[in-house]
Amino acid sequence: MNKKLLRRDRIGLLIEGVIKDGVFIAPSISERQVVYGPVKEASEITFDYIIPRNSFKDFLFPQTEPVARFKAEKDAVLLEEVKPRPKETVIFGVRPCDAASRASLRSVFTWDFKDEFYTKREERALVITIACTKGDDACFCATVGISPEGSAGSDILLRETEAGDFTVEKVTGKGGSFIDAHPHVFEDSVSGCALKEIFNPEPIGGVNLEKIKEWLKEKNHYENPLWAELSRKCVGCGACTFVCPTCHCFDIIDEGTYASGERRKNWDACQFEYFTLHASGHNPRDTQYKRWRNRFMCKFNFYPEKFKSIGCVGCGRCVRVCPVRLDITEVMAEISGQPGQGGS
Amino acid sequence: MDNIYLPRIVKIEDIYEEAPDVRTYRLVFEDKKHAESFSFRAGQFGLYSAFGCGEATFCIASPPTRKGYIQCTFRKTGRVTSALSELGVGDAMGFRGPYGNHFPVEEWKGKNILFIAGGIGLPPVRSVIWTCLDRREDYGDITVVYGAKKVDDLIYKNELSHWEEREDITLVKTVDPGGETPDWKGKVGFVPIVLEEAAPRPDNCVCVICGPPVMIKFSVKVLEKLGFDGDCVYTTLENKMKCGVGKCGRCNVGDVYICKEGPVYTAKEIKRMYNDF
Repeated sequence: MNKKLLRRDRIGLLIEGVIKDGVFIAPSISERQVVYGPVKEASEITFDYIIPRNSFKDFLFPQTEPVARFKAEKDAVLLEEVKPRPKETVIFGVRPCDAASRASLRSVFTWDFKDEFYTKREERALVITIACTKGDDACFCATVGISPEGSAGSDILLRETEAGDFTVEKVTGKGGSFIDAHPHVFEDSVSGCALKEIFNPEPIGGVNLEKIKEWLKEKNHYENPLWAELSRKCVGCGACTFVCPTCHCFDIIDEGTYASGERRKNWDACQFEYFTLHASGHNPRDTQYKRWRNRFMCKFNFYPEKFKSIGCVGCGRCVRVCPVRLDITEVMAEISGQPGQGGS
Repeated sequence: MDNIYLPRIVKIEDIYEEAPDVRTYRLVFEDKKHAESFSFRAGQFGLYSAFGCGEATFCIASPPTRKGYIQCTFRKTGRVTSALSELGVGDAMGFRGPYGNHFPVEEWKGKNILFIAGGIGLPPVRSVIWTCLDRREDYGDITVVYGAKKVDDLIYKNELSHWEEREDITLVKTVDPGGETPDWKGKVGFVPIVLEEAAPRPDNCVCVICGPPVMIKFSVKVLEKLGFDGDCVYTTLENKMKCGVGKCGRCNVGDVYICKEGPVYTAKEIKRMYNDF
């Protein structure tokens, strides 16, 4: 395929084509914040953003969705299966860190049992990523081995030109077919358009992922007083989990009455006390530091060990939203600096 | 089935009042074809729903050797179990499962088996007890040590009497000190202490244990003292679960998903886990 160019003024045409029977998601301003959300025309899209406030998991794993409906009759309960039938969804303007989180979500939702509510959405999603030309203090993708122009998880990768247009890199076959299907939007590029400089962050000094992994593997470190110390200021609000692109915990609850209602899958968070609370009153994670430890372990031990996938993509959202400024990268650095084998 | 969260409808065929707030439901699948093809292994669990209220996790309390129905035994404790308690014979519930691993009873052929249970921890053990009793010739001596706080709290009372009458199973029943009644014929004492007095021999013996965490902890210590190897002591871990299929993220003990890799583990395996109980 020849090199392609996406002119900014053609994006409207692209949206028009997609929303005929699908959905077009892009960064737009909502309540003075940049968020990924459905747009109907190009003027709604903002290009001046570092990273949207919400993660793009919202469109692969929605905050709430029905999985079944029930209705009580005289002597029976009628159960209706909900079949996920998502529309074709183009997610545009994704950042490389978010795109990289796709593999993590997929690994949880497809190991052994397949969650078709996730897989059907992912099958019908097309991810168009824009490489980062800027970042902020919270960004730490380079620290977890992700590049601001990485293509993992993307179907198409765009890079912004000095003129404000985008060069087009096909990443997957699906991305290629999409490009081919829109010849009037993706035009052959004349060589030599100057690219804006790609953001080039330094990895955070003192953080060593391998050392973190090794330290976490050591079972006696689970009881290390460091956990309580580092997470002492956590108030357990769970905001970090809701904006995190790899957090996937959910609850299954019934809404409605005994007569009729829906069974729904709703986001939940391991930071909440009731999350693991047994009916008996026993709670294996009865204090906040145990819940905080679980989240950290999930990112840097469970995901890599169990699912062989990355658990943290360095998007920095948890750092930005934390009301008490509990910075996960500071904890990463602290643990990287701990003595290894047996030390505790 | 594609939708992994969709339950099957089961009908309550019979209800047994076991103890105050403890009930056993005998359940049959509404879908006859599914009822015929359904099978499970001793130790597996399911998610039982009261529609309009939600799902709760219990083991399957009946043995897989008895076909055509399943039983669950639960104590009215939380929201869902309270709603389930309101149901009567003929009412519909939801069931998803069977999930999880099982007790490797096939590997135990020719061995003596010691069962230890406390209170509402008996149902998963009972599934294994009946599996062994239904294939009695496959196993050596079968011993059950079962205790509860009070006489009234003992569950499966009819079965306890039946086991006492049988020649091919030894039952040691006990209640905690102060929980006895004037006509109580069993032991008085905590399960670990009664276990130590009974002093079962570890040779060629596997042990299945389930009950309150504190009972398990002290019983395992007694078993160690008696010479039982951690490889031969099995228990079933119970944790809060919502999905049962390794997705929802709450039953994990460290990196181990109880719903997928468990709930059945040996004492030795548990020792290797992160301390997250």
